Amino acid sequence: MHQNTHTVESMTSRQRVLAALRRDPVDRTPVCNPTSVATVELMDLVDAHFPEANRDPHKMARLAATSHTELGFDTVMPVFSIIQESSALGCKIQWEGKDNWPTVKMNEPIWLEPEDIAIPDNLCTHPDTKCVLDAIRILRKEFGDDVAIIGKTMGPWSMGYHCMGVERFLLMSLDDPDKTRRCLDKFKESTILFGQAQIDAGADALTLPDHATGDLVSGEYYERYLRDMHIEFTEELKIPLILHICGKTEDRMEYISQTGMAAFHYDSKNNPCNSMDICNHRISLVGNINNPQTLYSKGPEEVHAEVKENLEAGVQLVGPECAIPLQTSIENLKAIPAAVREWHKEQAARN
Amino acid sequence: MAELSDIANEFARGEIDEFIENEDERKEIIDLYAAASPDMQDIAATVLEGDNDKSDELTKQALDNGVTALTVMDDGLIAGMAIVGIKFRENFIFVPEVLACARAMKAGMAHIEPILSASGVEPIGRVLMGTVKGDLHDIGKNLCIMMLRGAGFVVIDLGVDTSPDDFLEAVDKENANLIGMSALLTTTMPNMGKTIELFIDEDKRDDVKFMVGGAPVTPEFADDMGADAYGDSAVECVEVAKSLLKKNASA
Ligand code: B12
Ligand SMILES: [Zn+2]
Repeated sequence: MHQNTHTVESMTSRQRVLAALRRDPVDRTPVCNPTSVATVELMDLVDAHFPEANRDPHKMARLAATSHTELGFDTVMPVFSIIQESSALGCKIQWEGKDNWPTVKMNEPIWLEPEDIAIPDNLCTHPDTKCVLDAIRILRKEFGDDVAIIGKTMGPWSMGYHCMGVERFLLMSLDDPDKTRRCLDKFKESTILFGQAQIDAGADALTLPDHATGDLVSGEYYERYLRDMHIEFTEELKIPLILHICGKTEDRMEYISQTGMAAFHYDSKNNPCNSMDICNHRISLVGNINNPQTLYSKGPEEVHAEVKENLEAGVQLVGPECAIPLQTSIENLKAIPAAVREWHKEQAARN
Repeated sequence: MAELSDIANEFARGEIDEFIENEDERKEIIDLYAAASPDMQDIAATVLEGDNDKSDELTKQALDNGVTALTVMDDGLIAGMAIVGIKFRENFIFVPEVLACARAMKAGMAHIEPILSASGVEPIGRVLMGTVKGDLHDIGKNLCIMMLRGAGFVVIDLGVDTSPDDFLEAVDKENANLIGMSALLTTTMPNMGKTIELFIDEDKRDDVKFMVGGAPVTPEFADDMGADAYGDSAVECVEVAKSLLKKNASA
């Protein structure tokens, strides 16, 4: 089931990640978090705390770097939240403190109708978007070609939640599909503008969160509203894209596999083997170590077991299922790359 | 013992037949519908279809025809939401559909509420619901509120990012006897415990019951936080609320 690895020369982290995103052979499975590995312990370690680490490019880069330097992951990812472009668009943000993520106040929508939606050309010169671009440049300078730098640009469905309110947006999707499509079409510009700016700044791949999850909407919804738009993104943004949808998604993985995205970042609510079967090597999988029950609440041993389950299933990149809880221990996070190395050693010995 | 064929409304009959699989629940729902008049079944069906214009129209018509507000609420609107809750729990429908059904229920309740409050009919309970401090996930909490209202509770929605002080202040102001807290983040779950501690410090703990929920919350965690009960879905939230208030009354 798993890839044949023992013939591949030793790779840099960046080569390893990019190869896995293409489903090419790798020297070992890369460890990756396309969402966020920021934790309070890591913030203390490099003196880059929330909320400033979401707004100051130096702190952002410093905190992002820890995922490679401290944890031994193959990627760095400077966008810890999902609010940077929403802030630039004028959504009210609750910045919170050191021990919580910032969020959009979705019950104070900034737009109500498709006609209201206006994505300004200068979206990426706002301090909260520019911060990400600067952080990517800093990371590129620091790591050269050694480590894969992943950026993040939010998809149109998630932007609908942020700018129009979750419930309003979901009701509209049922009442008026046409109007919903017009909204998505406009939000698309934000995804592309911010994505392209991060490519220009030096990102190797982009995470594209678009929360059309099985916890909220049907699989048929994904096909109806998002599949074709996600195909368009792969044509517009010419680096590997990693779709992120947390929650239950097995019922829509078939459609997701048709998008041409490089990878899908999947949640622990989905079984690794079933998910691999559905995706059938049309898209790489990244995931799916459980956050609240395992990484946050248990120990390295349980982390090992979940990593192994993913490796046995042939999952191409291993990592946490979504942004990890901020109080997760460094010890548990380090257990992920350790478990990957151990498993590959065992495999090599067996062959 | 009522049979499915005792239900006059064809749409409601079809929904029950197709979606209510659990034996006990099926029996309960069939009894509920069979005991309701055909007009009330029609109102329940408008909720099931998420048709707010129809629900508004039929509710008004029933009240004009002299049906009591309580009957319209119990046999019509609440009966409708009972099936909606089960369909959602079993993944037959998703959040947008539930929102539409709740909107239909609300359209009917707009006629019922003024009558009930004028007549001084006691609701089955007054519940405060909020997502805890630092957390802005509110979809689950809002579905719980819809189901609680759909079951006849008066619910005061404190919204998201609700601090322990906000809960404390609201409990006096609203004269509530039950508090529901929702949390979706490991970073914010401990705020459930902090809220309960504040009530203990202020000597108010015995005045209210606490129920908690949200995807990462477990029954064990609920226990650790000192909550009275845990619920894992909106349907369970209603059951838990009913049983806590029963205990309250007998205590
Ligand atoms: C939709 C969603 C969002 C939406 C929220 C929209 C909104 N207004 O609510 C958006 C995209 C904005 C979002 C943001 C974030 N999210 Co989020 N999100 C989710 C997701 C996919 C689904 C949650 C949901 O609404 N489910 C549907 C509802 C119906 O289910 P529910 O909430 O569990 O409620 C049901 C029951 O639990 C119960 N219930 C709920 N409350 C109560 C209360 C009582 C009293 C009772 C009895 C019962 C009860 O009844 C409900 C109905 O049946 C989950 C994934 C998951 N696996 O759960 C992640 C998840 C909750 N999010 C997560 C994260 C990390 C975030 C962010 C930090 C991301 C980031 N990097 O910025 C931010 C948080 C910002 C903040 N401070 O709040 C993590 C949390 C990890 C953790 N436990 O710490 C999760 C678990 C994803 C994951 N797999 O890791 N998110
Ligand atoms: Zn996620």
